[in-house]
Amino acid sequence: MEAGLKPLGREKFWLWAMLTPTLFGLFFSAFGSLLATLALSFTRWDLLTPPQWAGFANYVALFKDPKYLTALINTVRFTAMYVPGVVIVSLLVAVLMNRGLKGISFFRTAYYLPAVTSAVATALVWQMIYGKDTGILNYLLESMGLQPVCWLCTDMALYSVTIVNIWGAIGEGMIIFLAGLTAIPKEYYEAAEMDGAKGIQKFFRITLPLITPSIFFQTLISTINAFQAYDYIYMLTRRGQGDSSVPVVVFSIYRNAWHFSNYGGASAQAIELTLIVAVLMGLYLWLEKRFVVYE
Amino acid sequence: MKRTLFSLILVLILALTACAQAGGKPAASGGPVEIRFMAWGDPAELEVWKQIVADFEKENANVKVSVEVSDWDSYWTKLKTLLAANTPPDIFAIDAPLYKDYQARGVLLNLKPYLDANPGLLDGLYPVTLKAYETPEGYFGLPRDFQTIVVFYNKDMFDAAGVPYPQQGWTYDDLREIARKLTRDTNGDGKVDQYGFYADLWDMELIWSEGIWAYGGDVINADATRTLIGTPEARKAWKLFHDMIFVDGSWPDANTAAQYGGDPFLAGVAAMTTIGHWAIPGYAEASFKWDVAPMPAGPAGQATSVNSAGFVVAKATKYPQESFNFIKFVLSEKGQTRLAELGFACPVLKSVAESPAFLEQEVKVNHQVFLDSLAFARMKPSFKGYEEWSSVIGDGMSVVWTGEADLDATLDEVVKQADEVLAKNK
Repeated sequence: MEAGLKPLGREKFWLWAMLTPTLFGLFFSAFGSLLATLALSFTRWDLLTPPQWAGFANYVALFKDPKYLTALINTVRFTAMYVPGVVIVSLLVAVLMNRGLKGISFFRTAYYLPAVTSAVATALVWQMIYGKDTGILNYLLESMGLQPVCWLCTDMALYSVTIVNIWGAIGEGMIIFLAGLTAIPKEYYEAAEMDGAKGIQKFFRITLPLITPSIFFQTLISTINAFQAYDYIYMLTRRGQGDSSVPVVVFSIYRNAWHFSNYGGASAQAIELTLIVAVLMGLYLWLEKRFVVYE
Repeated sequence: MKRTLFSLILVLILALTACAQAGGKPAASGGPVEIRFMAWGDPAELEVWKQIVADFEKENANVKVSVEVSDWDSYWTKLKTLLAANTPPDIFAIDAPLYKDYQARGVLLNLKPYLDANPGLLDGLYPVTLKAYETPEGYFGLPRDFQTIVVFYNKDMFDAAGVPYPQQGWTYDDLREIARKLTRDTNGDGKVDQYGFYADLWDMELIWSEGIWAYGGDVINADATRTLIGTPEARKAWKLFHDMIFVDGSWPDANTAAQYGGDPFLAGVAAMTTIGHWAIPGYAEASFKWDVAPMPAGPAGQATSVNSAGFVVAKATKYPQESFNFIKFVLSEKGQTRLAELGFACPVLKSVAESPAFLEQEVKVNHQVFLDSLAFARMKPSFKGYEEWSSVIGDGMSVVWTGEADLDATLDEVVKQADEVLAKNK
């Protein structure tokens, strides 16, 4: 793999020339704002008057802020359902899509469509599906003689929005898994068939072990996405002026910064979110060394 | 290769010029002065502001005004970012309840010297709208228009039920009774599909401050140190709303209302609502006939909420005089008439509010009600930390309006949290 693709001489110059804008942007926007957020998290700042040094006060306050703790618990619960959901469902969809069925490109497009549609627009459609008296889902339940469910009321809303988020993420997960699946040599399956292996056996003995790199990658990406999830959740659970019945951490950050003039506290929340994700990533990388099979 | 290098340089040059343009307006001495004005609003409002600016520029040849209009949410984000970067617009729109917050943080210009040089300028304005902008040191802003809350009612629903329209002098008991009469199952499937009343209970402005005042309570004390929404008088109003939703079923709960885009009145499923003049252009598109009536009275009399949008000048402005002149122009008969034509709000200039420009505007309803309501209107409070305080109440109470939490216990908890916000912002 390594030979033949190393940039040489003049190519090297162009390589750097082409990468510079991206690196420049990455350095200043990503690292720059990360450092600025870190610095701000130690201050009391309302955006309008000069920031004042606050030490760890913002971090201490986080653990005493019931609204933040609710948001954190919601985010963790959401992540715990969302990540396995996305990985399992998109893997299943990818396995189905990998068969040579007729009209497969239609289904591939259909599953990928949510990834390229505006979240705000699709959330409005989901609102029609989930409506208590006017929703399509309850209409179906009632026509089957079942009790209607208030899908977006506080006790159900978290599950309802998790389903929407998983639905929205299947497309991208499917692409990752399709790439992994097509990379598995056909000979393995042929050999297994000769030995009399059945479909389920082939899946668990060949497919699953060989796509662990894709599973690992997809789990990692989904975890990051889960902690940043905001648009569908906000659109489906917002009420009144800026409130949400399922506040997540990103929502809490936004609200503290822009509505409560608490930029320092919002920064501390953002840093804490980053730390949680970083710790999880560390854990994943450790697990990767133990369980992921690279050919 | 040469071509690539050339395009690369071209791109760089373009990027640099773009930066330079964004960087600023050269303040060449003697040349025309450019001031920036920012407001929230929709495209229709931008058009009206452009007309006002054109009129203003005709009279002030050396001043150019650039107008930026954004939707409500992005407006505040944008404004705060510009203020933080110390490049605020010279003039910007403000909502009265938030005014004291900005003023307390020292980003606004005191207009006192300019007002002193223009005696009598404020004489024609409704005094109650001015009061919101008063501080011990003078005015740091001026109102441009105001909103009183009135009852909007669906005439078709009243006619169909043979119920007389609401009249001046009606009470909250009448409101409850009428709402009950107008709550129906019109298609006979055993479920209510027409409600008597709906108002959003998140913000105080639409119904709950009015109700609390009418029952003899108040929302906050004068120096903004104590939240008063949990007093026995206030609880009478809360209980009325709660009973209408959960006992009478004449007022859809928050989850039901959300299915109708949060506005069951506009959706044609609620017979009455309480809202301000800003709703009129939107309601004009409704497929039913409607009109407006004054707020009902409670045991302590009639009450409504008055709130005004206004202007402030940034302390960091380089052109305070020119900025003030623009505000002065908007407050003149010419400027106020243009704003009245827009149909969103009531003019603060009495002579224009009482003229055909306001009373006989395009959408024909009883606009006089909005002006008459000033007689018993009370100001929406304005203090430092207002937004967080109102969010603590709005968010905290929202579980009551979905039917998930007990009214009295939630009120106790919300008052406690709201008082903590007040203490923090002292």
